[in-house]
Amino acid sequence: MRLALRAPTYLGVCLVYAWRWTFGSLTRGSCKYHPTCSQYALDALRQYGLVRGSVLAAWRLLRCNPWSRGGVDYARDQRLFR
Amino acid sequence: MILNALIVASPLTPLENLLRDVLKWLGPHGTIGLPWAWSIVALTIIVRLLLVPLTVRQIHSMQNLQRHAPQMKEIQKKYKADKKRQQEELMKFYKENSINPASSCLPLLAQFPVFISLYLVLKHFPHQPGDNLDWLGLWNITDKASAGWGPVLVAVYALSQLASSYFMSATAEKSQRIMLLVLPIVFIPFIINFKVGLVLYWMTTNLWTVGQGLVTRRLMPRPAAPEKRSSRTPPKEVATAVAPEPEPTPAPVTPSQPRKVKRKKRARR
Repeated sequence: MRLALRAPTYLGVCLVYAWRWTFGSLTRGSCKYHPTCSQYALDALRQYGLVRGSVLAAWRLLRCNPWSRGGVDYARDQRLFR
Repeated sequence: MILNALIVASPLTPLENLLRDVLKWLGPHGTIGLPWAWSIVALTIIVRLLLVPLTVRQIHSMQNLQRHAPQMKEIQKKYKADKKRQQEELMKFYKENSINPASSCLPLLAQFPVFISLYLVLKHFPHQPGDNLDWLGLWNITDKASAGWGPVLVAVYALSQLASSYFMSATAEKSQRIMLLVLPIVFIPFIINFKVGLVLYWMTTNLWTVGQGLVTRRLMPRPAAPEKRSSRTPPKEVATAVAPEPEPTPAPVTPSQPRKVKRKKRARR
């Protein structure tokens, strides 16, 4: 049952890994944050589930733009969902 | 597959329509009147030209990064054992010195919707019967890349991909470099099933990246010697805060040889 509930999360996690193993591997080392956006997405999905995790990951990706400063930013330190 | 197409297609429909309109405008029946294949190349160039402001920003921040390279190397050395800590310290250093790391994920990811939209556009290509769909007389843009001379184009694409990822990944480590070499080859079985037009787009965008990389390298010479000097003086922060003007003065006093000696010392540590 628990596994069934977690299934959507695993789907998201699989998608991130799919990205990492294909096109993501072409763009290694190009994230200005630590952990990288894909790692952040994995952490967020595992900690907050598919919906909230996806929102967090999307928000992170939007922040990872040429105008932002980057820096250390863990999923656990998020302030969107408290 | 249909569900998949729905998920991907619906949010991209506006982009797909925009790309189709631009293609039509560039194409043989539009204002510009280019042959279809060249209008794809022109479209690619337009997309990349729109991204040039981003590139200029990247060049500026890369110059800034190079200015701080010695200190960053110190940090990398200091936390050599702990990669995670090293990364964290580097990020802190960026923040303290208001460095904006050159690359970021969003622009890279933003190219994918364009790519998928173009894939959808090429699926239902807006050509009329009797239109010239050839490129250089060898390839038909609506054909699969596996047909005729297609594999040659795919090979050129793979080379362009190699070259462009070489320029894109400035910080690539050895294992990643191998990955970069292998990936274009891994991609070939997939790409050979794409339409020639799409390969043409991808190839052009890669070649643009290469050109951009070459120009960037011209504009950005390697860090000069006085900057390296600042890293080994004990009061690092003070030395750099004073600005690089006082640094060239000691340089003529000490000839180039002592520098080598000190470098060796550092290596022994």
